[in-house]
Amino acid sequence: MRSDPDLAQAAARGNEAAFAELVRRHQGKVRGMARRLAGSDAPGDDIAQVTFLTAWQKISTYAGGTFSSWICSICWREFLQWRRRQKMEIEFDETAEIIPFDRSADQNEMRMDLTRALETLSEAQRVCVVLCVATGLTHQEAADVTGWPLGTVKSHVLRGVALLRTRLENANVA
Amino acid sequence: MREQDAYKDLSDLFRVEDNTLAAEPFTRQVMGRVRQQKRMRRVVVGGLGLIGAGIAAMQLPQLFAEWAGLEKPLADALATAPAELSTAAVSQINAAATGNPMWIAIAAGAALCVFAVSAFERA
Repeated sequence: MRSDPDLAQAAARGNEAAFAELVRRHQGKVRGMARRLAGSDAPGDDIAQVTFLTAWQKISTYAGGTFSSWICSICWREFLQWRRRQKMEIEFDETAEIIPFDRSADQNEMRMDLTRALETLSEAQRVCVVLCVATGLTHQEAADVTGWPLGTVKSHVLRGVALLRTRLENANVA
Repeated sequence: MREQDAYKDLSDLFRVEDNTLAAEPFTRQVMGRVRQQKRMRRVVVGGLGLIGAGIAAMQLPQLFAEWAGLEKPLADALATAPAELSTAAVSQINAAATGNPMWIAIAAGAALCVFAVSAFERA
Protein backbone atom coordinates (compact mmCIF):
# COMPACT_ATOMS: atom_id res chain seq x y z
CA MET A 1 0.00 0.00 0.00
CA ARG A 2 1.35 3.43 -0.95
CA SER A 3 2.08 5.88 1.84
CA ASP A 4 0.29 9.21 2.18
CA PRO A 5 3.35 11.29 1.14
CA ASP A 6 3.73 9.10 -1.98
CA LEU A 7 0.10 9.62 -2.89
CA ALA A 8 0.36 13.34 -2.19
CA GLN A 9 3.39 13.58 -4.46
CA ALA A 10 1.53 11.78 -7.24
CA ALA A 11 -1.50 14.03 -6.69
CA ALA A 12 0.74 17.10 -6.93
CA ARG A 13 1.72 15.87 -10.41
CA GLY A 14 -1.99 15.85 -11.30
CA ASN A 15 -2.78 12.19 -10.59
CA GLU A 16 -6.49 12.21 -9.70
CA ALA A 17 -6.58 8.54 -8.70
CA ALA A 18 -3.90 9.17 -6.08
CA PHE A 19 -5.85 12.09 -4.67
CA ALA A 20 -9.07 10.02 -4.65
CA GLU A 21 -7.24 7.42 -2.57
CA LEU A 22 -6.20 10.13 -0.09
CA VAL A 23 -9.81 11.32 0.12
CA ARG A 24 -10.97 7.73 0.70
CA ARG A 25 -8.43 7.25 3.48
CA HIS A 26 -9.01 10.49 5.36
CA GLN A 27 -12.66 11.32 4.67
CA GLY A 28 -13.90 9.66 7.89
CA LYS A 29 -11.55 11.61 10.08
CA VAL A 30 -12.11 14.94 8.29
CA ARG A 31 -15.88 14.56 8.09
CA GLY A 32 -16.03 13.54 11.73
CA MET A 33 -13.95 16.53 12.72
CA ALA A 34 -15.99 18.98 10.60
CA ARG A 35 -19.32 17.57 11.78
CA ARG A 36 -18.29 17.81 15.43
CA LEU A 37 -16.91 21.31 15.07
CA ALA A 38 -19.97 22.54 13.15
CA GLY A 39 -22.31 20.65 15.46
CA SER A 40 -24.32 19.32 12.52
CA ASP A 41 -23.92 16.76 9.72
CA ALA A 42 -24.81 18.66 6.53
CA PRO A 43 -22.65 21.76 7.13
CA GLY A 44 -19.93 19.46 8.43
CA ASP A 45 -19.89 17.51 5.17
CA ASP A 46 -19.84 20.77 3.20
CA ILE A 47 -16.82 21.93 5.19
CA ALA A 48 -15.16 18.55 4.59
CA GLN A 49 -15.76 18.81 0.83
CA VAL A 50 -14.32 22.31 0.66
CA THR A 51 -11.39 21.05 2.76
CA PHE A 52 -10.53 18.40 0.18
CA LEU A 53 -10.98 20.84 -2.72
CA THR A 54 -8.56 23.24 -1.04
CA ALA A 55 -6.21 20.34 -0.37
CA TRP A 56 -6.27 19.46 -4.11
CA GLN A 57 -5.39 23.03 -5.01
CA LYS A 58 -2.62 23.25 -2.42
CA ILE A 59 -1.33 19.69 -2.55
CA SER A 60 2.03 20.84 -3.89
CA THR A 61 2.58 22.82 -0.66
CA TYR A 62 2.34 19.64 1.43
CA ALA A 63 5.91 19.24 2.65
CA GLY A 64 5.83 15.76 4.17
CA GLY A 65 5.00 15.06 7.81
CA THR A 66 1.65 13.74 8.95
CA PHE A 67 -0.93 14.09 6.21
CA SER A 68 -3.69 13.94 8.86
CA SER A 69 -2.30 16.97 10.59
CA TRP A 70 -1.96 18.86 7.29
CA ILE A 71 -5.52 18.11 6.15
CA CYS A 72 -6.90 18.85 9.63
CA SER A 73 -5.27 22.27 9.62
CA ILE A 74 -7.04 23.01 6.32
CA CYS A 75 -10.31 21.72 7.80
CA TRP A 76 -9.85 23.99 10.83
CA ARG A 77 -9.38 27.06 8.61
CA GLU A 78 -12.42 26.14 6.50
CA PHE A 79 -14.44 25.70 9.69
CA LEU A 80 -13.38 29.17 10.92
CA GLN A 81 -14.44 30.69 7.58
CA TRP A 82 -17.77 28.87 7.72
CA ARG A 83 -18.37 30.07 11.28
CA ARG A 84 -17.52 33.64 10.31
CA ARG A 85 -20.10 33.48 7.51
CA GLN A 86 -22.70 31.99 9.88
CA LYS A 87 -22.13 34.75 12.41
CA MET A 88 -22.43 37.40 9.72
CA GLU A 89 -25.72 35.91 8.50
CA ILE A 90 -27.16 35.80 12.01
CA GLU A 91 -26.00 39.34 12.74
CA PHE A 92 -27.39 40.56 9.43
CA ASP A 93 -30.84 39.01 9.88
CA GLU A 94 -31.93 40.11 13.33
CA THR A 95 -35.21 38.24 13.08
CA ALA A 96 -33.54 34.94 12.17
CA GLU A 97 -33.83 32.15 14.67
CA ILE A 98 -30.77 30.14 15.54
CA ILE A 99 -31.26 26.87 13.74
CA PRO A 100 -31.04 23.90 16.08
CA PHE A 101 -28.61 21.11 15.25
CA ASP A 102 -29.92 18.60 12.74
CA ARG A 103 -30.72 15.46 14.65
CA SER A 104 -32.66 13.63 11.93
CA ALA A 105 -29.79 11.36 10.93
CA ASP A 106 -28.77 10.52 14.46
CA GLN A 107 -30.08 7.00 14.83
CA ASN A 108 -27.26 5.58 16.83
CA GLU A 109 -27.61 5.77 20.62
CA MET A 110 -23.89 5.85 21.25
CA ARG A 111 -23.55 8.63 18.74
CA MET A 112 -26.26 10.63 20.46
CA ASP A 113 -24.46 10.26 23.74
CA LEU A 114 -21.13 11.33 22.30
CA THR A 115 -22.65 14.24 20.42
CA ARG A 116 -24.65 15.41 23.41
CA ALA A 117 -21.69 15.04 25.72
CA LEU A 118 -19.52 17.08 23.34
CA GLU A 119 -22.10 19.85 23.22
CA THR A 120 -21.91 20.32 26.97
CA LEU A 121 -18.24 21.34 26.74
CA SER A 122 -17.13 24.92 26.27
CA GLU A 123 -16.16 25.76 22.70
CA ALA A 124 -12.43 25.77 23.40
CA GLN A 125 -12.67 22.43 25.21
CA ARG A 126 -14.78 20.98 22.40
CA VAL A 127 -12.27 22.12 19.76
CA CYS A 128 -9.35 20.62 21.67
CA VAL A 129 -11.18 17.36 22.38
CA VAL A 130 -12.27 17.07 18.73
CA LEU A 131 -8.74 17.68 17.46
CA CYS A 132 -6.83 15.54 19.95
CA VAL A 133 -9.25 12.85 21.08
CA ALA A 134 -11.55 12.40 18.09
CA THR A 135 -9.17 13.26 15.26
CA GLY A 136 -6.04 11.87 16.88
CA LEU A 137 -3.72 14.86 16.59
CA THR A 138 -0.99 15.23 19.18
CA HIS A 139 -1.24 18.20 21.54
CA GLN A 140 1.59 19.90 19.66
CA GLU A 141 -0.14 19.36 16.30
CA ALA A 142 -3.41 20.72 17.72
CA ALA A 143 -1.53 23.75 19.05
CA ASP A 144 0.03 24.28 15.59
CA VAL A 145 -3.33 23.90 13.85
CA THR A 146 -5.24 26.30 16.11
CA GLY A 147 -2.39 28.66 16.89
CA TRP A 148 -3.15 28.31 20.61
CA PRO A 149 -0.38 27.83 23.19
CA LEU A 150 0.52 24.20 23.91
CA GLY A 151 -0.28 24.56 27.63
CA THR A 152 -3.75 25.90 26.81
CA VAL A 153 -4.46 22.98 24.49
CA LYS A 154 -3.26 20.49 27.09
CA SER A 155 -5.42 21.93 29.85
CA HIS A 156 -8.51 22.11 27.59
CA VAL A 157 -8.01 18.48 26.58
CA LEU A 158 -7.55 17.40 30.18
CA ARG A 159 -10.65 19.19 31.43
CA GLY A 160 -12.67 18.31 28.33
CA VAL A 161 -11.88 14.61 28.61
CA ALA A 162 -12.77 14.58 32.32
CA LEU A 163 -16.10 16.31 31.63
CA LEU A 164 -16.82 14.07 28.66
CA ARG A 165 -16.26 10.97 30.79
CA THR A 166 -18.56 12.28 33.53
CA ARG A 167 -21.31 13.09 31.01
CA LEU A 168 -21.03 9.70 29.34
CA GLU A 169 -21.11 7.91 32.68
CA ASN A 170 -24.17 9.90 33.73
CA ALA A 171 -25.85 9.06 30.44
CA ASN A 172 -25.13 5.37 30.94
CA VAL A 173 -26.48 5.43 34.49
CA ALA A 174 -29.63 7.19 33.37
CA MET B 1 3.09 6.81 28.17
CA ARG B 2 1.96 8.65 25.07
CA GLU B 3 -0.47 11.50 25.69
CA GLN B 4 -3.11 9.76 23.51
CA ASP B 5 -3.09 6.67 25.70
CA ALA B 6 -4.79 8.64 28.48
CA TYR B 7 -8.00 8.83 26.43
CA LYS B 8 -7.69 5.85 24.11
CA ASP B 9 -11.14 4.56 25.14
CA LEU B 10 -12.78 7.81 24.00
CA SER B 11 -10.70 7.94 20.81
CA ASP B 12 -11.91 4.43 19.96
CA LEU B 13 -15.53 5.51 20.38
CA PHE B 14 -15.02 8.41 18.00
CA ARG B 15 -13.15 6.19 15.51
CA VAL B 16 -16.01 3.67 15.47
CA GLU B 17 -18.37 6.53 14.68
CA ASP B 18 -16.13 7.87 11.88
CA ASN B 19 -15.74 4.41 10.33
CA THR B 20 -19.49 4.19 9.80
CA LEU B 21 -19.39 7.12 7.36
CA ALA B 22 -19.67 5.83 3.79
CA ALA B 23 -16.50 6.68 1.90
CA GLU B 24 -17.45 6.07 -1.73
CA PRO B 25 -20.32 8.54 -2.26
CA PHE B 26 -18.34 11.28 -0.54
CA THR B 27 -15.17 10.51 -2.52
CA ARG B 28 -17.18 10.54 -5.77
CA GLN B 29 -18.67 13.92 -4.86
CA VAL B 30 -15.29 15.43 -4.06
CA MET B 31 -13.65 14.05 -7.21
CA GLY B 32 -16.62 15.29 -9.27
CA ARG B 33 -16.04 18.81 -7.98
CA VAL B 34 -12.29 18.50 -8.56
CA ARG B 35 -12.91 17.56 -12.23
CA GLN B 36 -15.48 20.34 -12.58
CA GLN B 37 -12.95 22.89 -11.28
CA LYS B 38 -10.33 21.54 -13.67
CA ARG B 39 -12.68 21.85 -16.67
CA MET B 40 -13.70 25.35 -15.62
CA ARG B 41 -10.08 26.40 -15.30
CA ARG B 42 -9.27 25.01 -18.73
CA VAL B 43 -12.20 26.88 -20.32
CA VAL B 44 -11.39 30.20 -18.63
CA VAL B 45 -7.63 30.06 -19.28
CA GLY B 46 -8.15 28.86 -22.86
CA GLY B 47 -10.84 31.47 -23.46
CA LEU B 48 -8.73 34.34 -22.16
CA GLY B 49 -5.77 33.07 -24.21
CA LEU B 50 -7.95 33.02 -27.33
CA ILE B 51 -9.20 36.54 -26.64
CA GLY B 52 -5.59 37.72 -26.26
CA ALA B 53 -4.58 36.00 -29.48
CA GLY B 54 -7.62 37.50 -31.23
CA ILE B 55 -6.72 41.02 -30.08
CA ALA B 56 -3.16 40.49 -31.30
CA ALA B 57 -4.34 39.14 -34.67
CA MET B 58 -6.64 42.13 -35.15
CA GLN B 59 -3.62 44.44 -34.97
CA LEU B 60 -1.69 42.62 -37.73
CA PRO B 61 -3.09 44.58 -40.72
CA GLN B 62 -2.18 47.87 -39.04
CA LEU B 63 1.30 46.55 -38.33
CA PHE B 64 1.89 45.59 -41.97
CA ALA B 65 0.57 48.98 -43.09
CA GLU B 66 3.07 50.75 -40.87
CA TRP B 67 5.90 48.55 -42.15
CA ALA B 68 5.03 49.49 -45.74
CA GLY B 69 5.03 53.13 -44.75
CA LEU B 70 8.48 52.80 -43.32
CA GLU B 71 10.16 51.91 -46.61
CA LYS B 72 9.42 55.12 -48.48
CA PRO B 73 10.90 57.56 -46.00
CA LEU B 74 13.91 55.29 -45.75
CA ALA B 75 14.37 55.25 -49.54
CA ASP B 76 14.04 59.05 -49.66
CA ALA B 77 16.57 59.38 -46.93
CA LEU B 78 19.00 57.11 -48.80
CA ALA B 79 18.63 59.07 -52.02
CA THR B 80 18.73 62.60 -50.72
CA ALA B 81 20.84 62.67 -47.63
CA PRO B 82 23.11 59.63 -47.02
CA ALA B 83 24.65 61.40 -44.09
CA GLU B 84 21.31 61.67 -42.43
CA LEU B 85 20.48 58.02 -43.06
CA SER B 86 21.30 56.68 -39.64
CA THR B 87 19.51 59.38 -37.68
CA ALA B 88 16.43 59.26 -39.92
CA ALA B 89 16.19 55.47 -39.77
CA VAL B 90 16.62 55.38 -36.05
CA SER B 91 13.94 57.99 -35.52
CA GLN B 92 11.58 56.14 -37.92
CA ILE B 93 12.13 52.81 -36.22
CA ASN B 94 11.64 54.38 -32.80
CA ALA B 95 8.41 55.97 -33.96
CA ALA B 96 7.16 52.69 -35.37
CA ALA B 97 8.10 50.77 -32.26
CA THR B 98 6.50 53.19 -29.85
CA GLY B 99 3.47 53.96 -31.97
CA ASN B 100 2.90 50.41 -33.19
CA PRO B 101 -0.24 48.98 -31.64
CA MET B 102 1.03 45.44 -32.25
CA TRP B 103 3.28 45.68 -29.21
CA ILE B 104 0.43 46.99 -27.10
CA ALA B 105 -1.71 44.07 -28.28
CA ILE B 106 1.03 41.54 -27.53
CA ALA B 107 1.50 43.04 -24.07
CA ALA B 108 -2.27 42.97 -23.48
CA GLY B 109 -2.48 39.34 -24.60
CA ALA B 110 0.44 38.31 -22.42
CA ALA B 111 -0.98 40.18 -19.43
CA LEU B 112 -4.35 38.47 -19.89
CA CYS B 113 -2.70 35.05 -20.07
CA VAL B 114 -0.55 35.72 -17.01
CA PHE B 115 -3.60 36.95 -15.11
CA ALA B 116 -5.63 33.89 -16.11
CA VAL B 117 -2.88 31.47 -15.15
CA SER B 118 -2.15 33.18 -11.83
CA ALA B 119 -5.84 33.34 -10.98
CA PHE B 120 -6.56 29.70 -11.67
CA GLU B 121 -3.25 27.93 -11.27
CA ARG B 122 -3.02 25.61 -8.28
CA ALA B 123 -0.89 27.20 -5.58
